[in-house]
Parts: sequence; C-alpha cells; structure tokens
Amino acid sequence: MATHIRRPLLNPILVREARTRMRGFRPYLILTVFLLLLILSAFGIYQYMVFQARTGMVVLSSHIGQALFKGLAFTEMLFIVLVAPILTSGAISSERERLTYDMLLATPLKPGQLLAGKLIGALSYLLLLIVASIPVFSTVLIFGGIELRTLIWVVLLLGSAALFFGTIGLFCSSLFGRTTPATIASYTLVLILCGVPLLVASIWPQFSNPMGQSPPPWLLYLNPFSAIVAVTTVTPAAFQPDVPFFSVNDPFMVVPFLSQFSVGIIRYAQEGPVLMPVYRATLLGFWLGTFILLWLSSHLALPARRWRPRWSDLGFVAAVGAIALLIWMRIDWWWIVPPVDPWLMPVEPVPMPVPIDPAPVP
Amino acid sequence: MTLAIETIDLTHRYNKKLVALDRLNLRVEQGCIYGFIGPNGAGKTTTLRILAGLLSPTKGEVRLLGERLTTRAAQRLVGYMPDFFGVYDDLRVWEYLDFFARCYGLRGARLRQVVDELLDLVDLAGKRDAFVQTLSRGMQQRLCLAHALVHDPPVLLLDEPASGLDPRARVELRELLRTLRDMGKTIMLSSHILSELAEVCDAIGIIDHGRMIISGPLAEVQQQLATGARARLRIARESDVVLALALLQRHPLVSAASAAAADPRALMIDFSEPLNEEQCAAILAELVNAGVAVSEFSARSENLEELFLRLTATTGQTNS
Repeated sequence: MATHIRRPLLNPILVREARTRMRGFRPYLILTVFLLLLILSAFGIYQYMVFQARTGMVVLSSHIGQALFKGLAFTEMLFIVLVAPILTSGAISSERERLTYDMLLATPLKPGQLLAGKLIGALSYLLLLIVASIPVFSTVLIFGGIELRTLIWVVLLLGSAALFFGTIGLFCSSLFGRTTPATIASYTLVLILCGVPLLVASIWPQFSNPMGQSPPPWLLYLNPFSAIVAVTTVTPAAFQPDVPFFSVNDPFMVVPFLSQFSVGIIRYAQEGPVLMPVYRATLLGFWLGTFILLWLSSHLALPARRWRPRWSDLGFVAAVGAIALLIWMRIDWWWIVPPVDPWLMPVEPVPMPVPIDPAPVP
Repeated sequence: MTLAIETIDLTHRYNKKLVALDRLNLRVEQGCIYGFIGPNGAGKTTTLRILAGLLSPTKGEVRLLGERLTTRAAQRLVGYMPDFFGVYDDLRVWEYLDFFARCYGLRGARLRQVVDELLDLVDLAGKRDAFVQTLSRGMQQRLCLAHALVHDPPVLLLDEPASGLDPRARVELRELLRTLRDMGKTIMLSSHILSELAEVCDAIGIIDHGRMIISGPLAEVQQQLATGARARLRIARESDVVLALALLQRHPLVSAASAAAADPRALMIDFSEPLNEEQCAAILAELVNAGVAVSEFSARSENLEELFLRLTATTGQTNS
C-alpha cells in the first residue's frame, strides 16, 4: 500500500514531451520549412545587396554582413512569433479534449509543473530551430560587420520573445476548454501586439498635429519586430570618438516597412549623444508579461477554487515585483522621451517682424 | 474493522442550484467489490470524483480508511479511472505507464519494476512497445486500469469500466477485478450493465437523484427487496392457454399471470411471496391434472436489473 508519495525528481511532462516531441512528420516539416525560409531570405538579401552595388551605391563587405544579419534575425523572429503560440496553445486544452486532464489531476502533479513542462518542451523545440539555423547565420561571418554585443542582444531578444509568445499560448490554452478557440485567441493577441501598433505607427504621421511627427515610442514597446530592427539597425555607423554618429535608419532598406518607424532616438545629454533604442523596453516588457501570464495560467489550469491564494503565488509575486522594481529603478535606461523639436518650443520668443508703416503719401 | 470508504451526509450542488448529491451515506468495507448503480444523472460520477479528490463537496464528510479526505490523501489512497478516459496516442504502452508512475514520484529500478509488473497483471506485456492508439478498446481499458495502480493504492474507483467492451473483454475485466480483490484492494465501480455487477460484486448500492436508495451485501439487498418470485411457463397447445390463465389467476399465491405478446404460449407468473419447490410442484400438478399440456416450467427470482428498474421507477414517482 502506498504510504507516502514522493515528488517527481524530473518533471514527468517534460520527460513525455522529450519522448514525443519529435515523433511523426510534423516537427521535421516545420524544421525544413523554417530552414528553407532562412536560406531563401539570406539568398534574397545577398542578391539585393549585389544589385545595390551594381546601381552605383557604395556597398562594403560589412554592409552585406549587417544586411544579412538583420534580415535573418527578422525572419527568425517572425517564425518564433508565429510558431511559439501554436506549440503551446494546446497544452492544457488538448489534455481536456483527450480526456486525460482528470487522470493528471488525480496524480500529485501540480498545475504549475504541468505548465512548466509544456512550456519548456515547446521552448526546447524552438531552441532546436535556433540551433539548426546557426549554419545559415554563419554566412554573416564571411562578410563581417556585426559586433558581439549585437549578437548577444539578438539572442536575448529571440529567447525572451519565444518565452513570452509561448506563454501567450499557454494562457489561452488554460483559459479556453478547446484548442481551436485557444489558438485563435493566441493569434488575436499576437496580432494586437505586433500588427496593430505597426499599423497605427504607419498612419501616425498623417494624422499627427502638426503632420509628419514620428509615432510615440511607447506604441512599439512590446513589438518584437521593432525591437529586432532596433538591435540590428541602431548602431554606430562610423567610428569617430569626437563626433559620434548614429544611424537610426536602414540605408539599404533591408526591412523597408519597419525601418520607417521610430525604433529609438538619440538624446543629447551633457556627456554627449546617448543612444536610446526601443528594445530595452521590449525585453523588460516581455519578462514582466511572461510572469504575469504564467501566474494567471497556473490559476486558470485548476479545476476548482481557481482564485484561492496559494503558496506558489508568493514566488510569482516575488518575480513580478522584482522585475517591476528593476523597471522602476532603471526607468532612465529604457523610457524613451522623444526630444521636442526646437522650432515647436523655442527657448526664447521668436521676434515678431516689425510692421512696416505705410510710406506717407507725399 | 475500519471501512474503506465512508461518506456522511455527502451533499454536492452544481452552481448552487442543481443538487447532484443529497445527504449521501455510503459505507464500503475493505477488500470488497462494491457496485454503484444508478440511472444517468443519478450522481455516480460526482460521488466518484469527490472520492478521488477532484471535486470538493458542498457539505458532508468523506473518510478513506478512517482518514479524513484531503487532496493529498486521495492521491495517495485512491486509484481513479474516469468513465471517459483518455490515452496519449503518441506514447507506447510502457511509456504510458512510465509517465503516470513518474507522476507519483517513482524512479529508477522501482519504476521499471512497477511498469513490468503492471503490464504482466493486465496481460499487456506482449504489447509493451506498441503505440497506445493501436490497442483494442478492451486493451486500452486494461491499460487505463493499470495506470490507476501504479502507486499501489488500497482503494480503486472505476467509473463505468465495462462500457463499450465486447463480451470477451468484459469477462477478462471481471477476472482482473477478482484478482485485484484477492490482492486486498477495495474496488468501487459504477456501471449500467447490471448483470455484470451481479456476477462480480460483493455489495451494491443503488443511487437515484443523488440519494442512496439501498446499499449492502448483494444477497442481502436482493432478499430485502424480494416482494415475490416469478415463474415462466410454456404451454404446448395454444388452446390450453385460456384455461391455464384462468386456473393461475384463481390461485391464492399468484398475484398476476399474463401471456407474452411475442409468444402467446409463454406465460409469466408473478407470485405474491417466494415459493419453495413443493409449492411450485403443487401448482404444476394442478395445471397438469386440469388437462393443460405444460412443456416448460421454470421458477426464478427477481434479477438485479429488475430490482434497479423497480426501485428507480418508485423513486421517480415519489419525487414527481
């Protein structure tokens, strides 16, 4: 007779995910499509840069490297945003549909372990995709032009986006009983986060007063695409210690749609120009959003008394509180305040022209 | 002796309105197979889900082996097989049991030993590496039963374990349940196939509209409810049927006699009290002496299915 039950040493859901994730043809199909997409992107960008050189533009080897890196990072982000929710949107709902949820709840497995196992399982597959893309990414090394710092930021952004968009799928899966509504809801949230801000930003200049103003940076804080373009675009264009020059534009328009948006600003501080890219806010927002959604999902996954306080809530409160505190303390690091155009708010009143008296009529 | 399962005034309401269980008192002794019978919506599944720790009762108390029910106690003491159970299609048979064994914290050599023993117990060792989706319904049922045994619980709750099984699979399941009882497990199972329960259960409980109508050892329940016995009579010549019916309806021990619609020569006789063999012989002799050609005479007591129908019909009338 069972006198006591030990806690599992290794998450059983994770063990099951590891065993079954690569079964069937679907995982291999996704991997193949992903790699083909990356290879085609790399080839297309290279051809585009060659064309630019033929039309008379000065294209250096580093320019090709930067363009390739930017295009591939963007494609990879696009793929993660599209695939991560679908990998997790069936996490809880599929157990309900398969009628295995009651059997799981009758075991000592906690909803938190179930969510963690599903999320890590999905992320490990995304990690496989990222690792598999390394040979394609290594073509950038032939041309150069990428700093190690940029590479680290891109990896951090891709990882955080995978976590955040995977958690969106988990949240919807816990909220809805069936997988189809959960998937639809996940993609609706993805569209709200990624598509709507870009759409608003694209029409902002036409409707701003006065016309032609850049969209406010906060509009793109949680947008992974503006973040990836910011990481790969807002870099020192030329190294001149005395007169630093930053390029916030994309001279070759590798990602033409996005390069028009405000992906960061240059603030003129006392110590000189300071670069303020938007991806810092994106990264912090993703971390905060991930923990909040995980906390909500852990309650929604419960069969009864969902909102009764639990000890595990303390961990979530601590994590969310720590991130919120970090965000508050380092507000000057990520909060972008666009500089006011001098002609809009002049320091001194603009002298009004003296009216010319009409010449006395002789 | 401590009861395996005991509920005291167990009440459960869904959405504060629909009463699923109404002061249900249940007592199941250790080491027996207890059949839980009731029509759809009677509250069988709700009771089993509460006992498995998946549902909190609105009111009342539950004790498992004398221990007050908590989620942890239910996880430790109960093995639960739901009515509509799921299987992971993409897992192999041994992986399925391995997964649930890991959920209960088993690991290493003990984990492998438990998986092997359970596969032998449910006779699926030959299908060890097969995918679960390739198993027949009966095999999946046995596999699901094995999953409920991975942590060696003293109490097994099986919700409709025989539904959808062919006769051979039912016989196999019955044998398996007897083996588990011999191993000292207390088994509580609900079913609609009442004849199945009569063959395998030591005790039964009949529930309707969330209330226990009757509960106890099978023979005792049948004896308590015995209001009379029945006999089946077959007349060789159709011309004798009217005479036979007239004689039977005049008999003091017969409460009702009628001819079956499908077969007019087959008569069903309801007696006002159970008859012994001599009384049966006397009735038969009376018919033969009157010139009725009797080709078949068989006395039988009310079966479980008839008991169930009669009881639930009575409750329905009382409630309406």
